Amino acid sequence: MTLLSVRGLHVWFDLPDGRQLHAVQDVSFDLDPGERMGLVGESGCGKTTSILALMGLLPSSATVGGEVLLDGRNILERGEETLRPHRWNEVAMVFQGAMNALNPVKSVERQIVEPMELHHVAEGAAASKQAGELLELVGIPARAGTRYPHEFSGGMRQRATIAMALACSPRILLADEPTTALDVMVQAQILELLTGLSEEMGLALVLVTHDLPVVAQICERAAVMYAGAIVEQGPMDELFHSPRHPYTRLLFAATPDLYADEPVLSIPGAPPRLDQDITGCPFHPRCDKAFERCPRERPELKAVAAAHEAACHLNDEVSWSGSRIE
Amino acid sequence: MRADYVIKRTAFAIITIFVSITLNFFLFRVIPGDAVSNLARVPHATPQLRQALEKEFGLDKPKWEQYVIYLKELAHGNLGVSFANQEPVWSNLKTALANTLPMVTLGTVFAIVIGLIAGVFSAWRRGTKLEQVSTNVAIAFYAFPTQWLALVLLIYLSAFLPSHGMTNDFLLNPTPWEHFKDVLLHMVLPSLTLALTLYGQYTLVVRSAMLETLGEDYVLTARAKGLPQRTIVVRHALRNAMLPTTTLIALSLGYIVAGAILIETVFSWPGIGSAVYQAVTQRDYPMLQGAFLVLTVSVIFANFVADLLYFKLDPRITE
Amino acid sequence: MGVRPDIVGEGAGLEAPPPRRRRGGWFFQILRESRQAKVGLAVLLFFIVVALLAPWIAPYSVHEQTGAVYCPPSSEHLLGCDDGGIDMLSLLIVGGRTSLVVGFAATFVAMIIGGGIGIIAGYRGGWLDGLLMRITDYFLVIPDLPLAIIVAAVWGPSLPHLIFVIALLLWTSTARIIRSQVKSVRELVYVKRARSLGARNTRIVFRHVLPQIGPLLIANTVLTVAIAIFDETALSFLGLGDPSAVTWGSIIQFAFLRSAISAGAWWAIIPAGLCVALVIMGCYWLGQAIEDALNPRLKVAHLSPRSFRLRPLPGRGKDAE
Repeated sequence: MTLLSVRGLHVWFDLPDGRQLHAVQDVSFDLDPGERMGLVGESGCGKTTSILALMGLLPSSATVGGEVLLDGRNILERGEETLRPHRWNEVAMVFQGAMNALNPVKSVERQIVEPMELHHVAEGAAASKQAGELLELVGIPARAGTRYPHEFSGGMRQRATIAMALACSPRILLADEPTTALDVMVQAQILELLTGLSEEMGLALVLVTHDLPVVAQICERAAVMYAGAIVEQGPMDELFHSPRHPYTRLLFAATPDLYADEPVLSIPGAPPRLDQDITGCPFHPRCDKAFERCPRERPELKAVAAAHEAACHLNDEVSWSGSRIE
Repeated sequence: MRADYVIKRTAFAIITIFVSITLNFFLFRVIPGDAVSNLARVPHATPQLRQALEKEFGLDKPKWEQYVIYLKELAHGNLGVSFANQEPVWSNLKTALANTLPMVTLGTVFAIVIGLIAGVFSAWRRGTKLEQVSTNVAIAFYAFPTQWLALVLLIYLSAFLPSHGMTNDFLLNPTPWEHFKDVLLHMVLPSLTLALTLYGQYTLVVRSAMLETLGEDYVLTARAKGLPQRTIVVRHALRNAMLPTTTLIALSLGYIVAGAILIETVFSWPGIGSAVYQAVTQRDYPMLQGAFLVLTVSVIFANFVADLLYFKLDPRITE
Repeated sequence: MGVRPDIVGEGAGLEAPPPRRRRGGWFFQILRESRQAKVGLAVLLFFIVVALLAPWIAPYSVHEQTGAVYCPPSSEHLLGCDDGGIDMLSLLIVGGRTSLVVGFAATFVAMIIGGGIGIIAGYRGGWLDGLLMRITDYFLVIPDLPLAIIVAAVWGPSLPHLIFVIALLLWTSTARIIRSQVKSVRELVYVKRARSLGARNTRIVFRHVLPQIGPLLIANTVLTVAIAIFDETALSFLGLGDPSAVTWGSIIQFAFLRSAISAGAWWAIIPAGLCVALVIMGCYWLGQAIEDALNPRLKVAHLSPRSFRLRPLPGRGKDAE
């Protein structure tokens, strides 16, 4: 029973000169209960915008199209009206850079209790107690809750935002770059925490990041985004070992391996502008495997294996010999 | 430690008061054109008064001794004697200050309330025509010279409201209630003028602070939690916007004093502002000196209170 | 200019806006893009031109009675006359010249004092910085008008004294801004390199520091002029200006002292104050526009009255929210 189903999500942003920027293009994916999914890509590929759109957290300059089905019902249907009831108690979010995501003049406990009281999960002393328990769950002593965000270290702040996100027992957690700007040791702890929560509480997780090792560690599935669209989507080990899109392959190969002697690969060039229509494959100018069909025709997202799809013309060609990464 | 902050601010207040006292002395005694020797400029200083003052302030002694005497006299609350009415400066000023405070408080509170409402509105409805009008009106009132604004209100509202002094001299033997009403009526124009001259500045400050906070990530978090808009605006955005607002209101205290001086002069409100004006025109240097000191100490004290308020509002302040 | 990054949050694949160039071109760029700057500058230029041409465009002399006492506006005297029968319009034009001169001069002096202190404090640092900042703090806390009053009262009324007294109230904001800018510029890599190469301090200050802080300084200057003119009207009103000078402040003062109100002579009061207000507004618009351009608010509001729009799926026909 699919928990969340995103169908044909589009987001446009108004530009000052009257045109629009097509930031998210026809994004679709499904999420099962307890599943951990990664959403990866370069900065600016639209991954953050996509998950903000899921909760309707976009500014007034945005236009959204498509469907977001929660338990089969489209919560995007009437915008704010249908989205707001599900915020935090069904779908919660952990933001990038918890420094600013927490209100500096309120205690951490107060900020965890706030949604509890709003959604009538608990009130007063009971709520404080539950907040304390949540803090313990993420590895922070309960009595630290009365302190203010600036008194916490970066890692603890991030844990606190996770505790805050769990306040109303959501079924889905959207995590936007939860480990960026944290040092590696703390990163590992946070990832372990998220995995544990997902397994024990049946929490579905969408992990948005540009950091591939992070995704590889804890996600079972991933979707790779480029220039606002998903170019490949499938099980983690398949993406890693037999990618079916050149961008995916290059993305995974671009992560430097400390122990190998290979030169560090980087992908030359830059992503295309999203305020103009794109002809052909958006990746073809940077692709090392582009051929004459690529600039003319935009590839569609098609199944290439079980639960694995990719948008690349090479998959139609018989002589595709995707390199294996050892 | 949070207590450090309080101690630091207290020390700063005390030192600044001391600097002002010294500055006062310096200006009137040390620089050429010694103000007391300027008694020659004062038409009604009798020879006896002159002699008494010379003795009291030790004008025949070296400057540093004068300074010590000056400090000692201050410690006893002796600010000298007014040239104009031969009364002790302090008793003159005490009454004047008591008259000024209610008027200024009323005007300032009113300005803060309007400033908050208009500022939040301007930030919320940024870019709309109405907001632009509101913001420019605020700029206009900020730009109007205070005394001119007072005169304009005088011209157009004196038919409806008393515009001279604090009480109606023709009201004989008023009951306390009648007296209170009388004073209140007289207070309307001066307070209104002060409120109008201040609110523009406050609107701009609140607007600016709100624009900052509305773009902060914790506002997005609040929205993600499902909080209704109004709650987020007040509980998160406005609450945080109060921090720079408090600072800037504290910085406007000097402006409030200036406003009080100009407004009281126009409306003949018998407060400390009028006292300053009269002291200037009458060359009543002891009164001038005393008024400067009283005003400066008041502002320093008010600043100190504002510092404490900020301290309460912002948990991040540790030093 | 490229797309504002705040709208889309991430780079969105567009090229970054071209880096802001720090030559004279920046000023005209701001002018071109901000209507507020255009209006502010236009207002200021109008008054400056009138002030420059004052001796030639004032219809009558300001020292001779050319009309009846408090005569109302007429075709001969467009803004009526004051209590001495002197043409109001001429008074305003000539007064404007003096007011602007006082305003600019006081600002200039304040810039020198504040700039000097700011540069020394920011560049040298250490105990000197601490001391200068303490002094600045004291000046900030001590109320402006009372300070100006006692200095002016003791010193005696004259135009140069007035200019200096006003400057005394203005220098602190400049000192602060310059100090913080100098401090940050000082830490820039190329400045450090210059210093390690042995460049003399003054050279560093003029070649590197000043161009960086130039724009912000201009904004501060413009805003300071506004305050200077405001202060001039206040001090003149209290009788601490030059009694022989005609300024907008003195016009208001005379109207007050000579019972213009009971004579019903609104023209002796209202135009002068409006002129002051317009100049201050012009300064504010221009100065604020420059400051806004230099410190753009990069954050998009996460909360606003209107919500995002919905595009209905093709064939559904549902209205947007």
